[in-house]
Amino acid sequence: MDNPENVLIIGSGVAGMEASLMLSKAGKKVYLVENLPIIGGKIIKNEESFPNMDCSTCLVAPIQQEILQDANIEVLTLSTVEKVTGKPGDFKVIVRKKARYVSLEACLGCGMCYPVCPVVLKNEWEENLMDKKAIYVPCSGSLPNVPAIDASQCLHLNGKDKSCNKCVEACMFGAVDFSQKDEEIKVNVTGIIVATGFDLFNVQELQNLGYGKYPGVYTAFEFERLFASNGPTEGKLFLRDTEKTPDSVAIVHCVGRDEVGYCSNICCMSSSKHARFIKHNLHDAKIYNIYSDICLSDKSYQKFFDETKSHDSEFIFQSDRKKMNITKKDGKLEVSYFNGKETKESILVDMVILANALRPSDTIEELSKALEIKRDSFGFIEIEPSKIGSVDTSRPGIFVAGCAEGPKDVQGSVIQSEAAVAGILSMLDQ
Amino acid sequence: MSEKIGIYVCECGPNIADKVDIENIMDEISKLEDFKNKELVVKKHKLLCSNEGKEFLEKEINENKLTHLVCAACSPRDHDTTFINVCKKTHLNPYLYRIVNIREHCAWIIPDKDEATKKAIQYIHAGMNRVLYQDSLFEKELDSNPDVLVIGGGIAGMEAALNLAGKQRRVFLIDKEETLGGKAAFLTEQNIVQQKISDIQKNNNIKVFTKTVLDKLIGFMGNFEIVLKSTENPDETTELLAGALVVAIGYELFNSKKLSEFNYEDNDDVINSLELGRMFSENKKITLKNGKEPKSVTLVHCVGREKVGFCSKICCNYMLRISNYLKEQSSNIKITHLIKYLNLPYKEDQNYYDKIKEKGVEFIRYSDLSVKGTKVEYTDINDKKGKLESELVILAPAMIASKDSEELAEMLNIDLHETGYFQEIHQKINPVSSTTDGIFIIGSARGPANIVDAMQQAKAATGKIFTQLIPGEKIIPEVMVSEILEAYCTGCQTCLNVCSYDAIYFDDERGISVVNEAVCRGCGNCVGSCPSGSIRTKHFTNPQLYQEVKEAIR
Repeated sequence: MDNPENVLIIGSGVAGMEASLMLSKAGKKVYLVENLPIIGGKIIKNEESFPNMDCSTCLVAPIQQEILQDANIEVLTLSTVEKVTGKPGDFKVIVRKKARYVSLEACLGCGMCYPVCPVVLKNEWEENLMDKKAIYVPCSGSLPNVPAIDASQCLHLNGKDKSCNKCVEACMFGAVDFSQKDEEIKVNVTGIIVATGFDLFNVQELQNLGYGKYPGVYTAFEFERLFASNGPTEGKLFLRDTEKTPDSVAIVHCVGRDEVGYCSNICCMSSSKHARFIKHNLHDAKIYNIYSDICLSDKSYQKFFDETKSHDSEFIFQSDRKKMNITKKDGKLEVSYFNGKETKESILVDMVILANALRPSDTIEELSKALEIKRDSFGFIEIEPSKIGSVDTSRPGIFVAGCAEGPKDVQGSVIQSEAAVAGILSMLDQ
Repeated sequence: MSEKIGIYVCECGPNIADKVDIENIMDEISKLEDFKNKELVVKKHKLLCSNEGKEFLEKEINENKLTHLVCAACSPRDHDTTFINVCKKTHLNPYLYRIVNIREHCAWIIPDKDEATKKAIQYIHAGMNRVLYQDSLFEKELDSNPDVLVIGGGIAGMEAALNLAGKQRRVFLIDKEETLGGKAAFLTEQNIVQQKISDIQKNNNIKVFTKTVLDKLIGFMGNFEIVLKSTENPDETTELLAGALVVAIGYELFNSKKLSEFNYEDNDDVINSLELGRMFSENKKITLKNGKEPKSVTLVHCVGREKVGFCSKICCNYMLRISNYLKEQSSNIKITHLIKYLNLPYKEDQNYYDKIKEKGVEFIRYSDLSVKGTKVEYTDINDKKGKLESELVILAPAMIASKDSEELAEMLNIDLHETGYFQEIHQKINPVSSTTDGIFIIGSARGPANIVDAMQQAKAATGKIFTQLIPGEKIIPEVMVSEILEAYCTGCQTCLNVCSYDAIYFDDERGISVVNEAVCRGCGNCVGSCPSGSIRTKHFTNPQLYQEVKEAIR
């Protein structure tokens, strides 16, 4: 072993970042692997976080900065873990690191390269609500604030127009570097923490809800980006088809809950947050939350919910989620559902927000194979059943934290990551 | 040595550069009348916090032999530490530097560029005034004790003790009861709790004190001085030293009798969830008072939820488990749950609920109800009235903070949440740390938690302690602390009463108050209260503040 005290952390959301900083403070060398070009995870998509409506960026940006400035933490962006062999205390890890084509050292993040790039693409990070270029940062405020080039789309790199050097010419610091190659990085580590987060249930599976068919129907994360001051509308609430502000909004809870087979834990609170945001910005808007149960998993959440219910939104109980239907009527969206008396009712609104379920992340299947760790029946990483109350996976020396293990809020994710740190350090102690 | 002040204006990409006129700022700053006898270096940079920016700053400090530094940039919350770290690499004492926030205070909030520029100049000027009056301060190192006191021997406290104890770290585990185990002993498979108790007994690094409570605590992270007291004989005390504390005193159940609609004291077959747990752990079965197995059971959720103002999170799952057990014992049993909202936050819960529903268990959403004997009358959410006559009624009262919380919070000097539970320093990103460094809150002492939650939180606190209190490593206490100017102190002792950290003591011999610098956190309470003006907080002295404010409010 070159260094007995290295740790690999996969995923740089709140859980991965907390674990990285803690282990660094304990004098360990941390490899933080992230498959996106930026760190921060899903929380940075939120403008504000419940229940205190504090600015998420203000909460997380200092943590991101600290990570990037920490000499003990080696951040590997655009990277995935391919293979893990060995045993606890001596894992051999192969990381595949894609070329960024922009030097992390030389780039200052001035942004001069974006406007000159001729390739216009949909920005997936922004839920496709805005465009990006082939050289891009996912959003303003990205950290590291250094763009990456999408090699399959860049005219120079995909060979469609080798002569295109527009970004190279625009860069005052010589930071664009087409010669970068994908790398295979080998590291030896003592322990591993998996903190790869979640993805979202695809609402197009539910045809009855009209997503994709009616522009006024949004997913929760699309709405998060509309609501974000660094998002596509700079926080202004415009409907995508008409560019008007909505007079009425229906927020539908538990979308996909029956399909995934569990409650996603955070959507009641985020839906309440969305109602507050709309009311705060559009005082006269009529807001409905259509729920089937209310999940408030922290001591402070009920108060937030009660205040939302009395000031911002009407809450409507629906008895059967499967019977909801969304169609177009008189230029509005008609949301019909069965109420507590099991009779059909409907409301007319301009906008619908579907609070879609959290599901295991797209990368988790492949990753779990590479790590040789078990998943549960839903596809999340399973905590070793014989170690109740731990965050140990089925393979000793590998720990799990955050939504990779199941849906949970920021608090729950951080608790698990701190517990995983205890697991790693206990292992090193022996 | 003559003063040479470096003033560096950060463009913060376009964040500052687009919103204020940086050239104008530099020009105005360079020709300030009251600094005309001082040597100034005024420069701008694209992004001072970048690696390149930090190197630039370091080089500037060294090459110009700066005696003072002002960075006009962003909020100190973002980059104060960044620039302090730059100073630490140079000859310049970091306390001779000042950050001025021209981003959040000027660029981001003032739409008019001229006005924003004017304010930025004024603020930088204020920072320059202040920095000249600042003094060099030096960090000290203190030994720290890695041992931990765990208060509460329930599942959370036991788990914390077992995880923390090791070759280099002893744990003192105290509980006011006669035995360890807490409430989980009644609510879970006995063997988990029994196993932990036996593991603790076998662990030489854990010392258990039962029938013991905390009597007194002074000190700070790394160096707490603790006095324990026996619950049987208050004169019997034990003194200990520890570096950290873990508070795991658990919860209590809301007293259903406080609600007129529940008269369960009148009927032995109306019981609460804990009473049921106790019955089950003693008799291994659920029976009526007369010993017979019930043929019909009503389970009432959310008892007292409205009164306490929060959802207790774990009772739905617990009630479902009871239901499942009863159905497994006798498939003919009639079971009805009266629910408000069904809270199923754990991923396994939904399947469990669906399975129970398939077995014919009924769920009714109530808005109001009353219990008379074992007869439950309710109004459902559609305002329809109904009546359930069953043999056994099981209530799930809300879980509330332990009645010891308030006294303990005062003794430990940590905050309580409005629900009465202990308050996290940051609910989201620092959830098991209390409002005082070195004191951690876990399990149902910080809010309703099930056994898995409690154990994971115990491990989380372990992780925090492992990384904050490393055996053999020193800790660095606060530098910006209070100091008392002996000559002016009249010995009135007002400061002793206002100090939140017990950091001031009275020296009888000299007749003056003295600050314990290792404990003082520099809050300034004593400064404000001192009638003779003899206390000041380092780095926040009156001349420093006056110099800054006189310009800022001009």
